[in-house]
Amino acid sequence: MTRIVRITRESFRMVRNNRVRGFIMILGIAVGVASLTMTICVSQGVYEKVMDTVNKQGLDLIQIRPGSDKFTGAPSGSRDVVSLVEDDVDVIRQHVGNIVAISPVKDRKEIEVKYGDKFTFTRVFGVTPIWAQIRDFDASKGSFISEEDMSFSARVCLIGQIVKKTLFGDADSIGQTIKIMDVPFTVKGELESKGTGAEGRDRDDRIIIPITTYTNRLFREIPLTQIVVTVKDTDKLNKTVEDISAVLRERHKISPGESDDFAMRTPQDLIDMAYGASRSLLHVLMVIAGITLLIAGIMIMNIMLASVSARRSEIGIRRALGARKNDILRQFIIESLLISLFGGILGTILGYCGSIILSSMNVAASNLTPLAFAAAIVSCSLIAVIFGIYPARKAANLNPVDILRG
Amino acid sequence: MINIKDIRKTYMKTSVETNVLRGVTFSVQRGEYVAIMGASGSGKSTLMNIIGCLDKPTNGQFELDNINVLQLDDDALSALRNKKFGFVFQQFFLLERTSSIDNVLLPLIYTDKYPADATQRARKLLDDVGLKDRTEYHANELSGGQQQRVAIARSLINDPDIILADEPTGNLDSENAAEIVEIFSRLHKEGRTIIVVTHDRTVAEHAQRILELKDGQLKG
Ligand SMILES: Nc1ncnc2c1ncn2[C@@H]1O[C@H](COP(=O)(O)OP(=O)(O)O)[C@@H](O)[C@H]1O
Ligand SMILES: [Mg+2]
Repeated sequence: MTRIVRITRESFRMVRNNRVRGFIMILGIAVGVASLTMTICVSQGVYEKVMDTVNKQGLDLIQIRPGSDKFTGAPSGSRDVVSLVEDDVDVIRQHVGNIVAISPVKDRKEIEVKYGDKFTFTRVFGVTPIWAQIRDFDASKGSFISEEDMSFSARVCLIGQIVKKTLFGDADSIGQTIKIMDVPFTVKGELESKGTGAEGRDRDDRIIIPITTYTNRLFREIPLTQIVVTVKDTDKLNKTVEDISAVLRERHKISPGESDDFAMRTPQDLIDMAYGASRSLLHVLMVIAGITLLIAGIMIMNIMLASVSARRSEIGIRRALGARKNDILRQFIIESLLISLFGGILGTILGYCGSIILSSMNVAASNLTPLAFAAAIVSCSLIAVIFGIYPARKAANLNPVDILRG
Repeated sequence: MINIKDIRKTYMKTSVETNVLRGVTFSVQRGEYVAIMGASGSGKSTLMNIIGCLDKPTNGQFELDNINVLQLDDDALSALRNKKFGFVFQQFFLLERTSSIDNVLLPLIYTDKYPADATQRARKLLDDVGLKDRTEYHANELSGGQQQRVAIARSLINDPDIILADEPTGNLDSENAAEIVEIFSRLHKEGRTIIVVTHDRTVAEHAQRILELKDGQLKG
């Protein structure tokens, strides 16, 4: 048995002998560590959640919007920026490679929809049949709009699950006639449920109609609110973005140095956004957890200092019997370390339970990851050493003669 | 074995100098049993702490087995205390909430070579002082006499060259004191070197040699 093992055993024994002191310190550390692990779980959860929606919407999708801001663009459905028109779609289709499908999109929000005496306000999208494939948003019941619907500007629509619930409840909607801005439409299908999208909008609260119908029978608007494109080879996605940009700039007669009058958003942009969002959340929560840990550390230091004065005679006895200063120092640091580790383990368990409770309350929180566990253990060991070192030094530097003299 | 020459110890307290030891000179041979007597406050404990390498004199020379003790650093002094001395104090100084056997084993935590038979040795030592059935008792569950016997067992666990006892019977009644004195006599017969400080003449009389500390000097 080496000296350090013997000293560690003494530390164990001393922690066991001072249960109340140990318990209070363990609790303090546990609270700090629990907040730290929960912090990591929550920010990780937020990240995972956004990544999940990004993945659901596809990694091969490019969204082109009028206006120059990548994220907000011009507000969707606004007619302030007239920069994308149907001709742009044709030009892209003809001159850019690596494209699987492309569809123009027009949409307006807060459109009144009626069925009998029921009504709601929802967003109406005018799209082409290929849109279903591009956005992976098919009919769960009935069928999607067809080329025929397009050529006749047919008054047919597909309704999202929320619209369906509001207007029809549990009754069958297919074949029924609803009124969109007082124009009668036949419900051709129901859209599958998609939940919240990457932008945070509920994707089930919408109605889809053929884009020709949208233009010819409802709004007579020329500008598009979006063009959506899917690419064949996702590795060449950035190249495709550049090609589209070049084509559009030429068509829009934008001279070099002038900025685009359109903006493109790729999955990478969404990933970056998700990462940024979880990052800034992590930072805020980290500060809170850090303060909690700091308080726990100061508490450790206080209790250890009090314990050093209470244990003067023990220190004197050990020194008289041959303990070097360093032996006393190590014993006290190991005691803090042990207490911190117990506190750390209890804290991660508490943090884990906390993140489960948060999940059940619909807060995005991921499970305890090895990273969170490692972070907890490392941080409490650091706390133990940093805040334990001063009391331990104080203990080690006591003069045995003064102590034994009483 | 112990060679002390002209040891002086001066305490400075609020600019008042107290010369506790004023040139103490004496030596102790291996196997000797020496008693040091003196009035309270005469500096007996001060002298014992210096001999036990717990304290340093202001002036003088101190050789222990031809080692110049006063040149050693704190770690070396700790090692020396651990290896060469067995301490017995008036206040027993056992660890609370710690069993007799763990108290006896305490010095071994700080040895360089931990003996394989440590526990048996501790049991044997407790047996020798008549505490065979008290090995698991905590210090606060023992009488004063029993506590001091645990302390003596502890002082022997490292098989020390010298036993230093500072008023070992000071906190005991005469019956318990007699038992302790008897143990010292036995240890002396077994060949141990013993230095005991006491102001009790009946205790001192068991020693081979009685020295008197008076006016900061040792007379024998
Ligand atoms: N740390 C100290 N500071 C000042 N004076 C001290 C200190 N330690 C001991 N003394 C003084 O030294 C003298 C001798 O003390 P001590 O060695 O304990 O005597 P004894 O053991 O013979 O009763 C006493 O007068 C005591 O007050
Ligand atoms: Mg004394």
